[in-house]
Amino acid sequence: MSDTNRREFLQRTGQAACAVALGSTAIVLGRRACAGDSWAIAPNKCINIRLGVTGADKVCEACATSCVLPLSAVRAVNEHSLCGRCCICPAYFDVRSSMGPDGLPTKKVCPRDAIKRTVIGDVDANDPLNNFYEYTIDEELCNGCGRCVMECKDPAGLGSIRLEVRYDRCLHCNQCTIATHCPEDAYTRVGPQPRPAIALEGEAG
Amino acid sequence: MNAGRSSNCRDRGVSADHERKFGAIVTLLTHCFVISVLAVAMLVLGESTAYAKVDYSRPVNAAPKQQDIGKTYQVPPVQRVPPRSLWIYGLDVLLLAVGLVVAALVAHRWRRRWMAVAISIFSIAYFGFYRQGCVCPVGSVQNVTASFVDSSLAVPLVVLLFFLLPLIAALFVGRVFCGGLCPLGAIQDIVVLRPVQLPPAVDHWGGKFKYVYLVLAIWFAAQPAATRDFVICRFDPFIGFFRLNGTAWLLSIGAAFLLVGTVVGRPYCRFLCPYGGLLAIVARFSFWPVRITPDEELDCGLCAESCPFGAVKNLRADRMTCLACTRCFAHCPRQQYQWGDIELIEVEQLVEAHREKSLATSKPAASTPV
Repeated sequence: MSDTNRREFLQRTGQAACAVALGSTAIVLGRRACAGDSWAIAPNKCINIRLGVTGADKVCEACATSCVLPLSAVRAVNEHSLCGRCCICPAYFDVRSSMGPDGLPTKKVCPRDAIKRTVIGDVDANDPLNNFYEYTIDEELCNGCGRCVMECKDPAGLGSIRLEVRYDRCLHCNQCTIATHCPEDAYTRVGPQPRPAIALEGEAG
Repeated sequence: MNAGRSSNCRDRGVSADHERKFGAIVTLLTHCFVISVLAVAMLVLGESTAYAKVDYSRPVNAAPKQQDIGKTYQVPPVQRVPPRSLWIYGLDVLLLAVGLVVAALVAHRWRRRWMAVAISIFSIAYFGFYRQGCVCPVGSVQNVTASFVDSSLAVPLVVLLFFLLPLIAALFVGRVFCGGLCPLGAIQDIVVLRPVQLPPAVDHWGGKFKYVYLVLAIWFAAQPAATRDFVICRFDPFIGFFRLNGTAWLLSIGAAFLLVGTVVGRPYCRFLCPYGGLLAIVARFSFWPVRITPDEELDCGLCAESCPFGAVKNLRADRMTCLACTRCFAHCPRQQYQWGDIELIEVEQLVEAHREKSLATSKPAASTPV
């Protein structure tokens, strides 16, 4: 075999090998590929959301600290239709702090002061306890530390606040660091299959 | 000698070889188009249920009703952000595919440097700053490895396509992805100001580091889930710039790379980039590698001098190391003549001036054909 022939042969072999390798990668992984590569938090697994554990001192901060973004892609969301609109909201006030002259706790739960409290409806100016309050979470401030989520749970809260992934912020990293750090495996990639229905109270209540 | 050269300098117009290359590029274009259309179709068909209801209920719902609060009160909508719609992912893939085709056409047909710079700027703006460097083909090596090893993992279609498309392009037309479409390469490419030629030995042996890094990255990505580590992403020196945020030491390493990169062209790409290693292996067998001279070889060595990456060996663009940056085209006298930038007489003057210069500096290696 002459030198030119050999070089030609090696070249063709290499081309074929590359084509086969790329093609088989495409086939093997393409069959398993999923369009839905969004990350989601399973509420029945997340220690901050699920029932059974309460107390902001037991909070898991992995979502706030692990994300590669400066402000985590996870943030707390208040489901207004479930919110009790309490005067002394355990997720807003640190109920164990000392009482101020207005009869409200002096400290707040949120370390970043991301929750806004506004009085709503027909306001009774004399008795704050007789009013309803709306709690909105500032998306630009919340870093998803989960303290309010931990507090807004049975028995004190109604569980209207929970953690969610901000899909507009999430970079869909090659490897999500929150998912690797999540102690409860609650942070999962949502694939093409629909998730089974989850009954929250039956599991941990 | 001079007379002989000028008789060689005939303008032969579009050669048969050129026709063949154009056919190849059309083929590549068709392939990329078909692949991206398929990808978008699969994305739409496999409509994600990501945001499907994850059932969430509580033992009690004692929330006050609207009439309890006050007549005028409106329950505000829940602050909720839907997932990024699928067409944006489709757009990413489409832009990558179209970018590869354009980069291939620039490297093989249009051959203009400003086009490559335009691709670089687009890449830095879109893949870099807008998409914040995710998803990138460089890091996708690890995803693909991990999902090969662990069958419970499914690599997203977008990641798979980002991994495959530049490799397919490399198999056909060489490393056109590196040329300017890679945001990491593009950010280094625009800071190449006063490049120096490294000794060939440094180029040769330093270039082996990227294979070591590739093997290490694959090794770490192939670990079981608990110890799996995606080192390429963790030690990406430029991602901090794109996200305008990052640890101080990685940012300073990135800054150091850019600083060194002003004199040593693209240090990360040449010596470290693991995906570059993979592309180099595939590009070794590419069907239509980058050709410097448009028609006629003058053996002048101006291309070798203009290449900041030491990729011109024996007056040919080395298949494995050529990053398709198109710098050499602008320095090729025949190319300039073909563009009509210079007259035929100036071609000889350029060649002669270069020959005298290289003789004076007693570096004949660059201009001596082997």
